[in-house]
Amino acid sequence: MNHWTKYIVTALTFGALTNGAEAQSGVDFFKGKTVTYIVATAPGGGYDSYGRLVAEFMQRYLPGSTFVVRNMPGAGHLIGANAIYASKPDGLTIGTFNTGLIYNQIVGQEGVKFDLTKMSWIGKAASDPRVFAIASQSPIKSWKELLDQKTPVNFATAGVGSASYVETVMLTNALKLPIKLQTGYNGTDDQLAMRRGEIVGSIASRSSYDQFVKNGFGRYIVQIGGKDTDVPQLSSLVTDPKGQELVALVQSQGDIARLTAGPPGIPADITAALVGAYKQAMEDKDLQQRAEKLERPVEPLYGEDVLKAVKAALNQKPETITLLKEALGK
Amino acid sequence: MIDVMFGALGAMLSNPKTMGLMFVAVLIGLVVGATPGIGGRLSIALAIPFVFGMEMTQGAVFLLTMHAVNGTSGQISSIMFGVPGDGDDAATTIDGHPMAKKGEAGRALGASITASGVGGIIGAIVFAVMIPVLEPVVLAFSPAEFFLLAILGITFIAFLAGKGQIFKGIIVGLFGMILATIGMDPTSGIARFSGNYLFLWDGLSVVTAVLAIFAVPEMISLAAKGGSISAVSIENSSVSYRQLFSGVMEVPRHWFLALRTSIIGAMIGMVPGLGGSAAAWLCYGHAVQTSKTPERFGHGAVEGVIAPETASNAKEGGSLLPTLFFGIPGSSGMAVLMGAFLILGIQPGPAMFTTHLDLVWTLIWALVVGNLIAVSLLLFITRWVAVLTFINGAVLVPFILVLVTVGAYANEGQWENLLILLAISFIGWGLMRFNWPRAPFVIGLVLGKIAEESLHKALGLWGMSFFTRPLSLVLIGLICATIALAIYTNMRGKSAMPAGV
Repeated sequence: MNHWTKYIVTALTFGALTNGAEAQSGVDFFKGKTVTYIVATAPGGGYDSYGRLVAEFMQRYLPGSTFVVRNMPGAGHLIGANAIYASKPDGLTIGTFNTGLIYNQIVGQEGVKFDLTKMSWIGKAASDPRVFAIASQSPIKSWKELLDQKTPVNFATAGVGSASYVETVMLTNALKLPIKLQTGYNGTDDQLAMRRGEIVGSIASRSSYDQFVKNGFGRYIVQIGGKDTDVPQLSSLVTDPKGQELVALVQSQGDIARLTAGPPGIPADITAALVGAYKQAMEDKDLQQRAEKLERPVEPLYGEDVLKAVKAALNQKPETITLLKEALGK
Repeated sequence: MIDVMFGALGAMLSNPKTMGLMFVAVLIGLVVGATPGIGGRLSIALAIPFVFGMEMTQGAVFLLTMHAVNGTSGQISSIMFGVPGDGDDAATTIDGHPMAKKGEAGRALGASITASGVGGIIGAIVFAVMIPVLEPVVLAFSPAEFFLLAILGITFIAFLAGKGQIFKGIIVGLFGMILATIGMDPTSGIARFSGNYLFLWDGLSVVTAVLAIFAVPEMISLAAKGGSISAVSIENSSVSYRQLFSGVMEVPRHWFLALRTSIIGAMIGMVPGLGGSAAAWLCYGHAVQTSKTPERFGHGAVEGVIAPETASNAKEGGSLLPTLFFGIPGSSGMAVLMGAFLILGIQPGPAMFTTHLDLVWTLIWALVVGNLIAVSLLLFITRWVAVLTFINGAVLVPFILVLVTVGAYANEGQWENLLILLAISFIGWGLMRFNWPRAPFVIGLVLGKIAEESLHKALGLWGMSFFTRPLSLVLIGLICATIALAIYTNMRGKSAMPAGV
């Protein structure tokens, strides 16, 4: 070993040690502390179960800490997200909300009191690709058959302004799809309406439709994002560059699902400890098994990597922003 | 079929662990149900981590029982103090609380608890009977029918308003409907009457409004008049198991009403989209409308307790049907339950008929047995609970106001709702003070929202032609008949509910 290498090795070792020490001081900070984990929905449902799971396991990996889950539902996750953003940046308040708020921030919608690029990102737990789900009694069996429809077919979305509505309007307008929107289908109303036949399809997250399709009530004709290979990817079917950009935007939403974040300005050592505990939680076999039972397998990203993904999703071309604004009626 | 049916019952009863879990579930469900503002959803969400390790059947029985008995204890505070736990219980308050004021808290509790139990059991039976025809029945109801059902419920206001008060009733009902428009417009995405207040985007909290309209005015009036809730002193009233038992016997005395409202409740539960509170209110209206002496309602008519209680518990059996066999939950409570079923390895869907028929029967039996346990437990303890209505108001009022405040806050976890509670309490007190009916307000608030949302959907799907759907025509006929009957009885000077309800 020549002496340059020696220096490098020493420096690296020292660096690793100080890093480790920093994380350790962060971990020590949580002894005897109570961490509030805000879930931006009512009890029950995907966000709540995921939030409770993450809180339970993070508590396990931050010895001496107590995690308390607090539900702050309302205004399509805005109330919860605003509350997390405005909380004291001491690392004792973190939480989860819908990634769809990225759309709200891009167009600067009213009610947004946060800047996602400034938040302390801890991690994301899963991916939730979008699908075009079609009722089984409809003759539409493929993407091409949907495009070939002479008269527009009814697609259901949640209320105007919701993430499901925004995605459906954007894709319908940009790809000139023969779709007539029917709004106000919250929860699983759309699935029942597809069973009745008044609604033909829905653009939704795959996890919310897996059970429906498994029961033979519907089929997927195309998917955006995800690793599943049973359905063609929309990105491979769209050629127009403007359309491709939108598909990419929707995909980025699906990639950052089940996120955990804190307010801006949490001290570095404490953020490091939180990210560390989150990582250990995600790697825990017990958590992985339970997440799989809940909805989808764990596909985690941590800290800075999530921030990068969020920044990329927020950085859209003016044309895309115009489309988004149109979708939101701005 | 028969052997699977009774095999499931035998297996459940003979397994001490299942029965033990069921007993614990009943206790938790009753405690959560008795606390205003905390829904059954929360208890299941909190219980989910515990079911991970449970065996499939035991876990499912545990969660279902906990959910099913929630409504059984909810009416205790509505009857005793006029503090309804949620929209369902508000209907029970209208006649239950006046009974308590007359010193008949024991009788009211006996009747309501028994009615809940009977409703739960009939709901389970309807569940079993409906399995073969589930699909056509559930799929017959679309937004067009939801709209007309909501309108039908709103027309019941005419019967609830009271002698010579039909216009006051309509005004209060319309006021409720106006407040139902607060929040995000479902078709334009514009926040109405919400200013910059995000907590109003999802509409006015029904729990807060119900507490403000019913509970707070009662407490103000109790504090002002002094004395206890019961106008009759404890020496002159028979707070005893005998009074409780006389309440229990009211249910068999009104067996036909209990049967009808249980079936209506179960059917409403079966059809997702109408919401739980609609069942209780529609059945309350039905009881008034079909009574020979409608003028007793609002002054402590026992039928006014039986009808909403049977309905709100029977709907649990009904709402389990689409959840289990379509895999499409009918209410937010059922959605949480379904999530928990998935964790236990139960895949709801049509395959349940073939792969898990024994489990389906176990769940039906769990509804029956769970309700029986809940009713026996409650009947045993309420004799002492009823004594509270004889306590001096000065001691009681602060405690109950704390309960009301906690309820208004806990439901959505937003402190702003306390301001809403205060504001609407003034209106509630004014209505009570000047003898205006209060029930139409809640009906307008609850059904107005459903009516608006479904009207938008129906118009978007079919335009004006949705009125000509066959089932729509039947419902329109019912609405016209109700209005005609209301006009007729009003002209004859005989109407349902006397003032001040």
